[in-house]
Amino acid sequence: MSKIDCPVNQALARLNHTLQNNHLPHPRSHRVAEEIQTLVLDIAMGRAGKAHLPSIDDRVSALGDFSDDPAGVELAQWLSQQLSDHHEVFVSHIKSQNCATGDCDNLTPAPCQMACPAGIDVPTYVSLIGLGRDAEAIEVIRRDNPFPWVCGLVCTRPCEFMCVRGRIDTPVSIKFMKAFAAERALSWGQYRNPEQSPANGRKVCVVGAGPGGMSAAYYLALRGYSVRVLEALPSAGGMIMVGIPRYRLPREVIDREVAMIESLGVEFCFNTRFGKDVTMEQLRRDGFEAFFFAIGAHAAYNLGIPGEKDFPQVHEAITFLRNVALGDRHVPGRRVVVIGGGNVAIDAARTCLRLGCEEVTLAYRRTRHEMPADEEEVEQAEEEGVRFAMLTIPVAIEGDGTKMTGLGCLQAKLVSKPGSDRKSPKPIEGSEFIMPADALIGAIGQRVENHWLAEIEGLKWSRRDTIRVDTATMATNVDGIFAAGDAVTGPATVIEAIGGGKRAASGIHRYLSGIPQPKMPPVPVRRRRVEWTEVPANTKMVLKRSEMPLLNIDRRRTTFQQVELGYTENMVREEARRCLRCDICRRCGLCVQICRDKMGVNALSMGYLEFDHPGTTNFRQTQDLCISCGACATNCPTGAMTLEDRGNERILSICGTILNRQPLVHCDCCGAVLGTERYLEYIRNRLHRSAPNTSKKRFCDACARKSGLESNKGAMPLT
Amino acid sequence: MVFHKGQKIEVYRRSQDESWEPFMDSLVGRHGIITDPDTQINDPNALVEVSLEDKGTYRLPQDCLRELEA
Repeated sequence: MSKIDCPVNQALARLNHTLQNNHLPHPRSHRVAEEIQTLVLDIAMGRAGKAHLPSIDDRVSALGDFSDDPAGVELAQWLSQQLSDHHEVFVSHIKSQNCATGDCDNLTPAPCQMACPAGIDVPTYVSLIGLGRDAEAIEVIRRDNPFPWVCGLVCTRPCEFMCVRGRIDTPVSIKFMKAFAAERALSWGQYRNPEQSPANGRKVCVVGAGPGGMSAAYYLALRGYSVRVLEALPSAGGMIMVGIPRYRLPREVIDREVAMIESLGVEFCFNTRFGKDVTMEQLRRDGFEAFFFAIGAHAAYNLGIPGEKDFPQVHEAITFLRNVALGDRHVPGRRVVVIGGGNVAIDAARTCLRLGCEEVTLAYRRTRHEMPADEEEVEQAEEEGVRFAMLTIPVAIEGDGTKMTGLGCLQAKLVSKPGSDRKSPKPIEGSEFIMPADALIGAIGQRVENHWLAEIEGLKWSRRDTIRVDTATMATNVDGIFAAGDAVTGPATVIEAIGGGKRAASGIHRYLSGIPQPKMPPVPVRRRRVEWTEVPANTKMVLKRSEMPLLNIDRRRTTFQQVELGYTENMVREEARRCLRCDICRRCGLCVQICRDKMGVNALSMGYLEFDHPGTTNFRQTQDLCISCGACATNCPTGAMTLEDRGNERILSICGTILNRQPLVHCDCCGAVLGTERYLEYIRNRLHRSAPNTSKKRFCDACARKSGLESNKGAMPLT
Repeated sequence: MVFHKGQKIEVYRRSQDESWEPFMDSLVGRHGIITDPDTQINDPNALVEVSLEDKGTYRLPQDCLRELEA
């Protein structure tokens, strides 16, 4: 038997073992143990309620008090200890419908949910969107992420990288569905905040109104804390407001979602910089008991080349983007060179085009293959006319007086250093050239402006100049101070900042409530188990990921209008049908194994079950080979695989994908269901009939017996 | 090794980096996908975002990761 880590599952296994092996001889203790088994099974299956644990406790006491059966007393003592040692785990199974170990098959998050740094219950909201229940989908998302619309537009979507559908063809387009649902819910006035706890009279200060800071503020406000957010900029959003251009993320999207947080009573103080306009001492005097720092990484690294400080036409990308976001729409130059290969470089280059620059070139030291920027962003930049100068190393900025005239560069080639498989750009001798340009934007990375936090004595910083935290709680080494977002990770993703803010809110709550802090980051919580949608196997296979409609190219070059126009309603509903519902099917492969090895049929082609080396998947194959025996469904631990008689058909499906439907065969005498033609044929072949079946009549066992053995010589009893 | 988005990797050992936390020992041996190699500069010292099968998404130092054969 494989090792079981989950205490609930351990209890269930012990009960199963005891009952199956008749280790409780007395009928009374056997009955009580069976009742306990049923209740524990409910917990393991995610269908338990508040009354379950008290009921189990009562029954365990009854079992322990019944001294006529020593085996029962022993079992009760073990169960009592198990319930006491792991009380929190039992409660969390009931409350969160989640099993952190993955032992409870029904309570294990899907790969997409596990991959989300904020732990959003992706299969649930995708299913709800598929059913047209967009507002409910947003409610589910906002349990774990207060910014569904923002993330629907700019998330780096780790969920899609782990999407199991991607092992068949392409991942489900989770991000775009989220954007659709958020927009629809807001537009229809159905975008709501979760229920808020009553005010608890305690105050927490959040420094930084970026995604991390506002997420922490949101979760703290929901728990009843009074939250004040300090922001150095004149508006909320942080890097998503001043670092991401409006053609990717319209300001209104941020404003609407921030307004929802504000409506929880969160107080925003703009143009207020911690360390300059307000100090820790003042805040403590104002009654703040805990602090959360999410100050982002707003300072740029220098290029470190001659001329960088000599010309006013040389800009830092992050400052340039911030100025544009705050309303400065001046053209930086006619011919602009952007240095860098990341998303910020791409954003700066595309912004230059929109401001009216005639020629925008992105210079990068390595090849396109090594560019850290998103492939879609690179493609869109290329479509809009950004030029790419790869393997180009900037060496000096050329100019005349105070006017920049060009960028001195060297051509490079990629070489491997001894002992390293990492290729580095090496300048090619004699390859110097001047790239004519009248403005330059450096986008080679950002760092945290740590001097603003100088007054926090003893705060530990990493060698990367980021705040050091325990990532399970986001607590720093200074009592009562927590941190997350880019200030902790370095320039990273919006969803990581949101996840960090959420974890920090939980850490702060525990800190202020005197609850011990966890040693591991939390496992995502499953919010619901939504019914699946039936989709024929053929449809499931042929449905392809929808292409995102884009704004026309002329408008993309000239305005800051949103480039991605969003999925239509039909696209969204169709896309949801591509989901494999990995929240229900855990991909254990038992069905495939049994069909192939036990039944010898091999009707299930599910190559997607493998992570490292996925094989071919063809749901359509089952229709041709399946005998409808139901062995796969019987042995499925999660109920993902089902065999059902509906009307005159026997239907096999996995999470709603109909793999096989065969007409039923009935008893010629009483009309009872005998199975399908293929199943009966399979049985006949397995029985190695001694006598040929001369009769075309088919009877069930009962009718065969009733008709008499002699008269039915030719008719096989089939059930 | 320059990690790319979408690359399959294995956490094949503990890292000596200061960012390695005790709970991360349980990630050793896990397979996953690079979801954010490092947003800007392809720095071998940068922490990279990886999604690990059944374990979740973490930002890890690169010295504990190796590419899985395609």
